[in-house]
Amino acid sequence: MQPDEILDYLIPGIMLGALYAVIAIGYTLVYGVLQLINFAHSEVFMVGAYSALLALTWIDPSTNPTALVSVLLVAAGLAVSGTAGAATAFALEKVAYRPLRRRNAPRLAFLISAIGASYFLQNLAGKLFGRDSRALPTLFENKKVFSVFGTQVTILQLLIVCAAVLMMVGLDYLVNRTKLGSGIRAVAQDAETAGLMGVDIDKVISRTFIIGGFMGGIAGFLFGLHLQLSFTMGFLPGITAFAAAVVGGVGNIRGAMMGGMLLGIVESFSSPIFGESWRYVSAFAVLVLVLMFRPTGILGERLGRSA
Amino acid sequence: MRAPNFFYKGLGFAVLKRRVIKIALPIAAAALVLSACGSDDDGDKKKDGGSTAPGNSGGGNKPTWTIGFQAGLSGENAQLGINEENGARLAVEQANAKGDLPFTLKFKTSDDEASETKSVSAAQKLIDDSNVVAVIGPAFSGPTKAASPNYAKAKLATVSPSATNPSLTNPENNFTAFLRGAPNDNAQGGGMAKYLSKKLQVKKVFVVDDKTEYGVGLSKVAKDELTKAGVQVVSDSVPKATPDYGPISTKIKNSGADAMIYAGYYQDGAPFAKKLKEAGFNGPKFSGDGTNDAQFVSLAGDAANDWFLTCPCADANVEAATKQFTDDYKKRFNTNPSTYSAESFDIANLVIDQMKSFGAEKITREGMLTKLKGASYKGLTKTFKFKQNGEFDGATTFIYQVKGGKIGYMGDIDQLVGG
Amino acid sequence: MTTTTTDFAPTAATLAKLRRKRWYQHPMYGRLVGTVAAAVLLDVMSGPQGSREDVFFSLDKSLGSMRVVWWILGAVALWAVMEFGKPLYQRFLGPKVGPLDRFTTPVTEPVKAVTAQARAKTADLRRIVWVRLGFSAVVIGLLILLPNLLSTFWNQVLVNEVAIYVLLAIGLNVVIGWAGLLDLGFIAFFAIGAYSTAYWTGAMPVDPPFKLNAFLVIPVAVATCLLAGLLLGAPTLRLRGDYLAIVTLGFHEIIYLIAKNADGFTNGPRGVQGISNFGIHIGPIDYDWELDPVPYWYLLIGIATILIIAFLRLEHSRVGRAWTAIREDEVAASATGVPTVKFKLMAFAIGASTSGIAGVAYASKARFISPESFLLLFSVLVVAYVIFGGMGSLWGVIIGTAFLAWLPQYMKDWVDPNDRFMYLGALLIIMMIYRPQGLIPSVRRKRELSMAKAGLGDADAMSEPAGGRMT
Repeated sequence: MQPDEILDYLIPGIMLGALYAVIAIGYTLVYGVLQLINFAHSEVFMVGAYSALLALTWIDPSTNPTALVSVLLVAAGLAVSGTAGAATAFALEKVAYRPLRRRNAPRLAFLISAIGASYFLQNLAGKLFGRDSRALPTLFENKKVFSVFGTQVTILQLLIVCAAVLMMVGLDYLVNRTKLGSGIRAVAQDAETAGLMGVDIDKVISRTFIIGGFMGGIAGFLFGLHLQLSFTMGFLPGITAFAAAVVGGVGNIRGAMMGGMLLGIVESFSSPIFGESWRYVSAFAVLVLVLMFRPTGILGERLGRSA
Repeated sequence: MRAPNFFYKGLGFAVLKRRVIKIALPIAAAALVLSACGSDDDGDKKKDGGSTAPGNSGGGNKPTWTIGFQAGLSGENAQLGINEENGARLAVEQANAKGDLPFTLKFKTSDDEASETKSVSAAQKLIDDSNVVAVIGPAFSGPTKAASPNYAKAKLATVSPSATNPSLTNPENNFTAFLRGAPNDNAQGGGMAKYLSKKLQVKKVFVVDDKTEYGVGLSKVAKDELTKAGVQVVSDSVPKATPDYGPISTKIKNSGADAMIYAGYYQDGAPFAKKLKEAGFNGPKFSGDGTNDAQFVSLAGDAANDWFLTCPCADANVEAATKQFTDDYKKRFNTNPSTYSAESFDIANLVIDQMKSFGAEKITREGMLTKLKGASYKGLTKTFKFKQNGEFDGATTFIYQVKGGKIGYMGDIDQLVGG
Repeated sequence: MTTTTTDFAPTAATLAKLRRKRWYQHPMYGRLVGTVAAAVLLDVMSGPQGSREDVFFSLDKSLGSMRVVWWILGAVALWAVMEFGKPLYQRFLGPKVGPLDRFTTPVTEPVKAVTAQARAKTADLRRIVWVRLGFSAVVIGLLILLPNLLSTFWNQVLVNEVAIYVLLAIGLNVVIGWAGLLDLGFIAFFAIGAYSTAYWTGAMPVDPPFKLNAFLVIPVAVATCLLAGLLLGAPTLRLRGDYLAIVTLGFHEIIYLIAKNADGFTNGPRGVQGISNFGIHIGPIDYDWELDPVPYWYLLIGIATILIIAFLRLEHSRVGRAWTAIREDEVAASATGVPTVKFKLMAFAIGASTSGIAGVAYASKARFISPESFLLLFSVLVVAYVIFGGMGSLWGVIIGTAFLAWLPQYMKDWVDPNDRFMYLGALLIIMMIYRPQGLIPSVRRKRELSMAKAGLGDADAMSEPAGGRMT
């Protein structure tokens, strides 16, 4: 790799990292309040992408819309995918997790329920929308907007990073500054005590899922714009994003953002350095290394109980 | 959590308490069972094919024979299996509906999940059914490798529309019942290399494979042939379902290669094409039959333009017979035929053809195997003939180019290159 | 948020207002919504397969036609019967007993009495060693006879899926069920075992120093997996439960990708072919396991029996008690002098080597392996099997695994094969809602859970209810 190529890999890395970060937040939030690896979050991501596809195809079936229509479509896609993601996550919590909580099920039962939900949603989507890949319409024709030291940045990259950053800033505000945020933090720290203090745990958990699902759905839409859609599209980004959440310190929101960015950039640079096929090895090697030296992730646990 | 009552005020959700689940779930479970049975009925109707078609209703004493089908019908790689299943099913249904068969034909599918772990038992299911006289499939090379010893032992012929790994017909394997219904990867890789080196006369080629058995096989042949022709080769592997084709596209652009080959399927070829266009790589781009699919163009949009796609299949899209096939297929399965649908249709017809040649004789598995090995059948896509080791006879590779959103036929590579 | 402010002084009137429920807040409407939602979902689930051209096709057919109306009407009718039928029934027909109990009680009560008596008697019997041995012998005898009752297809399923996965589950049960460590990369050791077999029998592109019989590979593979387990476990077992899960998951991905990418050694995605079968060639004995699945079945029963006996003895030994202590409260265990890391490492390594044995058996039976035989999905599935069966309970794990490995094969004949996994996923959720402890939970686990529920003591990290207790 030449030094002048660094930006060529850094910019896609940042874009991918931003997406991972947004998905990782979904995992980290749920882990924070439930201490549960929400395996089905990757399916929330997939549902977001497909719902946007449905909406966009319904609004404008052409594959190459004009710039003005594109703006409209992006807005519609963001709204629909966010809503669908939030709705899926909400339903997921209601059907697959809440009854288990009511029964004091062991934590591993939640894990299996999550795996079951993931299986179910994935194959349902495969059935409904066909098991072939699908593409969202090419918005903006991937035009370059500007160049940084000779490296082109496309509208799509800009859009993804902006949307991700906006969501992350919004979430940070929400968690640290609002009443709901303090509820989430309280439940994450000690659900029992929070309940005794008058926090409605069910509601907090439900809303946590909605927030995570909203972000996951939008990430799905953005990822669909960037790559394409298939019913198994959630699996790999989901696993990587969860690794990112752990790298940053699971339960720690800023940690998830950092972990996502880190893994995205590492993956992007592994292509010129080790070859593309070692991409995931590098991501997981980073994970193992980080955990060896900092067993609770880079920033440590914050939302969750301290180890 | 028992929160004070007034906290529930105005909460629509809070009323959905445990009771909902208590009632809704048994209902869901019961209905699940019902719907499972319901879809089973559908499945049976589907499976029996045209056995209730008018032409057959009179023949009470006609024997019944079954054509087996093995491919991945569930899981991640199900699409290819479904394409092939539909093609073969259509052939069986049409043959039954015609009514001139001396027997009633049935179609039995066995799902191997495109996994070699499940392949052996999937094969056994067909072997156990003594009515099965020939099998179409398995779709992928891995499951084929796993199941072929069992098929060979049972002397049950398998004709695969899409398992193109060259090593399958290696005599050491003793896969004596395996017949390949498509030219293997060597033919296409060689064709690409020839076209690049002789016709386009490029100096440096970047070869990318998708880390699947198909992609690795194809890229290896292409690399070997290109090196032989004195072309510099750079290569990398991008596992399929990679989240970002940006870095590899940049890498290709920066490598200074004149041309590139992608050995993989259209699902990943399409986003790759988009990113290559974004990265500004303008050299000739090649891919094989895994990408030669209308879906490639619809997924990649403009970015698919100018891609060269090779295929062992001649352009049959304009022929009346193919059009008829497309219409019938669409009518039956609500969707257009896709990769290997037509090949599978052809192979099913080839098998039916051989079954007919038994006439009044009893059809045996061994007899079918012998007959299939000596068969010659002209289908929609190509003429099917087999070599002694089960290899497809004939390795003509044709080349296509995407122009204006359509895959346009260019011709036989050997003829285009001129020797 | 519902946090209250400090100056909140409720008067009787405001409280009454807050407590008043509007008509739509009645739980029965919640149940209506739930039932209708379930009906719509079932309508969509039972609709036609999607089309690759038209995204809306399947939704159109299931939601855009009269079907959905019938489903909803059915759901509403069902809801009405359940809601309004029950009070009517209770009022006129069965004031005390439930609707079904009225018919079932005369039958179930005597049966219950008989079973309770029988259970008390067998409890005495079960203490007698000979009875237990005899019972085990009968079970093993039945298992040996089993292949004769089934078609070759089911024998293949028994060997390739049921027996192999049961072996894996027995191993994973040690890690998850007894030591309480969540291992999401169990198939990585399976892969190591399988590739060791390929290497030592000379099927890989790289030749071994000397070739081994597949039986002799077993100890080699066990050693390799032990070593791999120790190498992975030593740095990571200090991590808490969920971190361990993600690290093992990462380890699986790394092993899988190495198998896929190290073309020169593992032959990459094209896989290794021609691995030799098991065979005994000592003196006059000259026997090879070949294509027929039945001899493998006997072999695997043998291996499983040895492992089960070994593990049962282990469970009730000092080691097993140490695992229980670690599982229930790691801090307390280490405070009372249990070397926790050592015992955790031991459980991890034992699990890994069992997985390795299964890998040898699989590779030698299949004769062909490729990275696609060792997907991450399988690691997740084994965990699901173990928990489904009832972790910690060896019999539960065996039966649960056998059931879940058998079910998808059985479902092939019943549902559209494309949709099998959809139903399987739904089954997992329903099962976890109604029986979170698994099919046959272990006695000790059950007690731990009930104690945790009652607020006495703490269940271990793995079985602690998530999100605080719901009392």
